[in-house]
Amino acid sequence: MSVRLLYIEDDREIGSFVCKHLEKQGYEVHWVTSGESALKAAAGCKLVILDVMLPGLDGFTVGQRLKKADPAVPILMLSARTSIDDKLQGLQFADDYLTKPFHPDELTARIEVLLRRSGAAGSEPVAVKHLLVYEQQNRVVNSTTGEEITLTGKQFHIFSYLLRHLGQIMTKEQIYEAVWGESFIEGDKTLMVHIRYLREKIELNPAAPEVIETVRGIGYRVRP
Amino acid sequence: MKKLVKRPRGPRFHQTLLTRYLLIILFAFLFIPIIFPLASFVYMLTEEYTSSRNEDYLKYGDGSTLEAMWHQEASQLDEETPEQTDRKLQEMKRNYPEGSFFWVDASGETQLQLPRQEQLPERWTHADAIRYMKKHIDGDPYTVVAFIGPDNSGAGFMVMQLPRSLIQLSTPVGAGTPFYIAFLFIMFAFFVLLSLLFFRQIRRRLLRLQSAMKVHGSDGLPMPIVQKKQDEIGELEAAFNEMTDQLRGSKERESAEEELRKRLIANLSHDLRTPLTVMNSHAYSLRGEALSEHGKAAVKQLEQKIASLGSLIENLLSYTLMTGGRYPLKLEQLDVLRLVRESAAAWYPLWEQEGIEPDIDLPGEPIIWRVDKEGFRRVLDNLFQNIVRHAHNGQYIGLSSETREGQTALVISDRGAGMESESSGKGAGIGLAIVEYLIAEMELEWRTESTANSTRISIFPRQLQT
Repeated sequence: MSVRLLYIEDDREIGSFVCKHLEKQGYEVHWVTSGESALKAAAGCKLVILDVMLPGLDGFTVGQRLKKADPAVPILMLSARTSIDDKLQGLQFADDYLTKPFHPDELTARIEVLLRRSGAAGSEPVAVKHLLVYEQQNRVVNSTTGEEITLTGKQFHIFSYLLRHLGQIMTKEQIYEAVWGESFIEGDKTLMVHIRYLREKIELNPAAPEVIETVRGIGYRVRP
Repeated sequence: MKKLVKRPRGPRFHQTLLTRYLLIILFAFLFIPIIFPLASFVYMLTEEYTSSRNEDYLKYGDGSTLEAMWHQEASQLDEETPEQTDRKLQEMKRNYPEGSFFWVDASGETQLQLPRQEQLPERWTHADAIRYMKKHIDGDPYTVVAFIGPDNSGAGFMVMQLPRSLIQLSTPVGAGTPFYIAFLFIMFAFFVLLSLLFFRQIRRRLLRLQSAMKVHGSDGLPMPIVQKKQDEIGELEAAFNEMTDQLRGSKERESAEEELRKRLIANLSHDLRTPLTVMNSHAYSLRGEALSEHGKAAVKQLEQKIASLGSLIENLLSYTLMTGGRYPLKLEQLDVLRLVRESAAAWYPLWEQEGIEPDIDLPGEPIIWRVDKEGFRRVLDNLFQNIVRHAHNGQYIGLSSETREGQTALVISDRGAGMESESSGKGAGIGLAIVEYLIAEMELEWRTESTANSTRISIFPRQLQT
């Protein structure tokens, strides 16, 4: 069964285009043109794509009400308002904020990330190179041999953080702070040591890593 | 024309501090001419009262009463009948048992003595009489001498002596002086206390006003204070409250204006971006169609232009906000290398896509500058975007640091055609104008060294400049 998305957009042209694009990607899209109808149509949707400038109730209010009704459903703000204030206001309740004009591929990529993060994508494993990662079950399987790879808590935490930001480069500080929950002190080698052990377990050749890529001077990345 | 200035109605005269001060001064002036006589008067009154009360305790009345009585008795006697005089003296002795009495006849013979006094001469000469008088003036016992006969006209005389303690108060003259001084002292202390309280109250109210000016409410403005009295300080407090009201009003107007301006720009941005989004979606749809190579290139070009138009709108609107002073920066101590790394991480995929090779050689130690987080990111974004747009031919971007006069500077370099060259995407330079503005606002400096095939931008704190 395809994943059902709620899309709130008052502009007909943009709306019909996005609908077609997302349906082509295999999603079931429920498109409404006002905030009031959005609140009624939210049931059963796994993700909400929300415009800010709407007739009647504005996007911020609709978003806050939707989030209150079901905090587990991720909200992606899709807005032509680009000011920092708007972004900050939106991100107080929304999970992501994309500004118009946007690239349709970027929209699909962000939707995938949000669905994966919320667990709405189901227990479908994420395939990265030769690995299959079952994030819900904390399992990593080598798909070529079928062997299960045992990772320590921190190793899995680091790996899943990079997977959640698939294709994005994350800096050492970002990874450290997300996994350890405390601020990174420059010169701390803890993260490097953990990544070295992690690579020994998941890479085919730890000397020439392919799964976790080092971006010199910046950080690490897992490419899809 | 003379402008009429409406003076605010001041406090009523009797409510003013001036009145109260004048009262105190008046009191001070009256101190000597009023308080001293008043005190003396009060003293005398009390003295009179107490002494008259004491007089009741004098058995035989005071000296003058006795003297009058003695002369009266003497005037009723006759020199020719000594028995009568003897009888009178005996009667007097009965009436005044503490007294001593004697009389001398016209020939100077001492007659009856009650009791007998050895020192009295038997026969009085003139010298004896004068000596006796001199001895007993103001002495103790109290002595009264009266000539016998009608109108005290005789040559004989009779004498009465009484101990002074019987006819005079035992309290010495001026016994009330300490009370008098104490009264003056109390009045003086009262005056000092009154002045002290007066000035202390003024001081306290002024201090309260001062602290009210220093204490700021949640909106950064002084809080109004409670006006308790209608005097000059009360007026000052009222004026202060009026001033804070005006400040608050103007601040509210300012923030409402700012809000309006921001909303206008947000709406403008929305109205410009919506058609761009539609154009973008149509261009994207075209990709799915069967197109010639030329058509595909045109679609790609279209998409690029839409993207750059989007960022141009963004920059233009930001620039409008910034130059209007409506883009407040929050400067804080931040590790700029961290911001550079995060920004580079976001740009990295695009650099790769454009074939630009990043060369990142940043120091391990953090560089702490006082910057606005979003502002600094904006600077980096605009500089990186510039490189992607105008210098991608150099296929290189370098992020490093260098030491300039003992302080670390951030260096962004590329191998493009240089900033002076004509680039196909070159516009009005709003992106760089924003960089210029933000760098100045964050108290930083930037230097650009541009040649025909490279550009080097270094950013460093302003105090590096000598």
